[in-house]
Amino acid sequence: MRRALAAALVCTACAAVPQAARARASATLEGGTISFFADTLSVVARDRASLRLIDGTHVSGDAAYVDLKNDRAVLAGHARIEHGGTTVSADAIAVDLDANRVDLLDVGTGVSRTTRTLGSPVHAEIDAKRFAFPDVDDRYAFIRSRHAAITPRANVRFSPAAFPTSVGGVPVPSYLYTFATAAGFGQTTLPGATFDQPYGLIGTPTSLTSAHARWENNDGALALQEQLASGDTAYATGAIDAPFRGTGSSGFNAYQRLGTRYTFLVDGNAAFGSREGDATLGAAFGTAGGRLTYHLQNGGYSSFDASLRTPDLELVGGNTLRLTADVGYDAQRGGDLYPYVVLPGGRAYGTVWRHGLDAFLATPIVHGPLGTSIGVTLDGSRTWYAFPRHADAVTASANASKKLTRNFSLFAGYQNTWSSQVYPGDQSLFFPIPSAPLLTPDGMPYYGWYAYTGAAVARYMNLDLQYAPPTSSTSLRLSARHTDDFYQFDGLGRPVWELRLDAQFRPFPNVGIALGRSYDFGWGGRRWLPGWSFAITP
Amino acid sequence: MSAALFAAATAAVVFRIVPLACSGDHLAVAGGGVLRLAEGSSCAAFVPGRATGVTVGDDGRVTPHAAGSDALSAAKIPRTAYVFAPAVESDADQTALVTVQIEVSVPPRTPPGDDIYMSTDRSDWSPSEIRMDRVDPRHFRYALQVHRGARVAFRITRGSNATLERDVSRALPPAHIAAGEPNARVTVVVAAWADID
Repeated sequence: MRRALAAALVCTACAAVPQAARARASATLEGGTISFFADTLSVVARDRASLRLIDGTHVSGDAAYVDLKNDRAVLAGHARIEHGGTTVSADAIAVDLDANRVDLLDVGTGVSRTTRTLGSPVHAEIDAKRFAFPDVDDRYAFIRSRHAAITPRANVRFSPAAFPTSVGGVPVPSYLYTFATAAGFGQTTLPGATFDQPYGLIGTPTSLTSAHARWENNDGALALQEQLASGDTAYATGAIDAPFRGTGSSGFNAYQRLGTRYTFLVDGNAAFGSREGDATLGAAFGTAGGRLTYHLQNGGYSSFDASLRTPDLELVGGNTLRLTADVGYDAQRGGDLYPYVVLPGGRAYGTVWRHGLDAFLATPIVHGPLGTSIGVTLDGSRTWYAFPRHADAVTASANASKKLTRNFSLFAGYQNTWSSQVYPGDQSLFFPIPSAPLLTPDGMPYYGWYAYTGAAVARYMNLDLQYAPPTSSTSLRLSARHTDDFYQFDGLGRPVWELRLDAQFRPFPNVGIALGRSYDFGWGGRRWLPGWSFAITP
Repeated sequence: MSAALFAAATAAVVFRIVPLACSGDHLAVAGGGVLRLAEGSSCAAFVPGRATGVTVGDDGRVTPHAAGSDALSAAKIPRTAYVFAPAVESDADQTALVTVQIEVSVPPRTPPGDDIYMSTDRSDWSPSEIRMDRVDPRHFRYALQVHRGARVAFRITRGSNATLERDVSRALPPAHIAAGEPNARVTVVVAAWADID
């Protein structure tokens, strides 16, 4: 709770000093009403509009339109522009937010062009794009405000901000909307949440500090996040998540593209008393490549991996094969490396080298019987350890689709994964016969556990019926899913049967709803276990 | 165009315009073109920035008129009706919804049971914002409805930030752009995923 309070205090303090972002804005727009349309990045001011640019230029008019996609503004009706004591009037004025050009429209004489210093205008052709004013319906605005501070290609801060079309969007004194598309603004280290409402606090073209109101694990939480971005080539993100009850978490990640071939990624997180981090150097040579990864976690465990992969090698019939080779080691500081600790003298084991090979075969999508389309994959891997041990895994999957009508499609899939841990001569040491049956989460004994000696199987089957008109955002999907695994029993492992219905639709032009209802059948001592999922999207 | 043909082409047709300014009998509309008001029409009928309708008389002069759903775009106003015509025609009707078809193909190593999502700047890049419709085991699509003129930046994910798309060199690709134009189509080929080699 103290951590939550601390986070709340930090968030409040940051929200109270938005001047840092305002100072960087290169234009401010005021009006009786300001409407912001997020999808078109349009800001429309009505009932006398006033636009002030960072060089002191002041443009006013009956209404204004700021095009954030192109950093342009149009002031329409009784327009006036003032700069350095000079004032020019026109019926409409078009200005650039971060350039010098000014176009003056007079309904009697046409267009003349000048600069922000307002020297003698010269006659010019009417450039329709510069005098575009969108035909918008203010009822569908994402944000309604009276003041907007604009940083071109980065963000716009609205003061105050109301959200007339957003369910759950409460009015706030100040709201920072970021529209920069740099990859770093899409990164987060916050854990998943049922609900997450970000509030931008401080923003620049390359950074964003935001507070998040969250609902996670049936409890509220506050989070603070910092994002730094340099185009799509580099970013750094850090976040602290503070639930009102339970354990908080924190994390960071950073990415840098190094030339055309290399990338570097580092991340770390701390939650539930555990801390871990990774550093990865990736390389690409055409479509082949490799990576070096170092992993470290508290308790003294670390690992290193170096892997190389081939491109997708073309085989006959359009089939492809990819091979991946890996070499690495696992280390436990001071010994006791899992699982060798069960060996006589095993506590001395502190490191083990390993190497592995993976082969992945994929068919193209082929036409099957009854008008189906089918894709098949096969993946096999073996990892050899320096200690007499190897681990195998084989996964086969087949997926088919059939278009029933223009709007309805049927999908069926089957996946089988077999995995095995093999300790030649020592299998019974690592997988001894249990002295008592394993108890499932509801207390039922699972006698099948006696049969587990290192090999496991996971089978997954699905049948989906999808309704998705090709020109509509509406879709419905009814899914039946069945698993048949070893080991799996009464709440241990995956549910055996699941039925779910997912719907996605847009009741209004700027509101999307995703709704899901699921049932697990005959699992964990329950006849059926219902579940809901719900999301509102812009 | 002859006067008779002009009259036949424009009679009783309502055009939806956004006025920029009105003075005397001259009306400037979005795009910068200037029209002339018909006798008896007043500038009081036009509010700068507020869309409304006009009809064009056989003399090329315009009269204010309520704009219904069947009103034509201002870009359809005959150029001969303009006192000053813009160099390029402009249609800034952003109330109309258009559909952008997004088509995505995913690499064979994509886990077959995974759903594919669009993550857009509209949601602050929520990684599971829009679940795409499946076409076949490796192709997905979505009919993204946006206002005309919209520009939506998006990336493809498998539902989380850890499963973001990567380019062929395993680097972060720039965001894809869906532009709100009629019959727009964006095709995305996902080369790789962040969590899968």
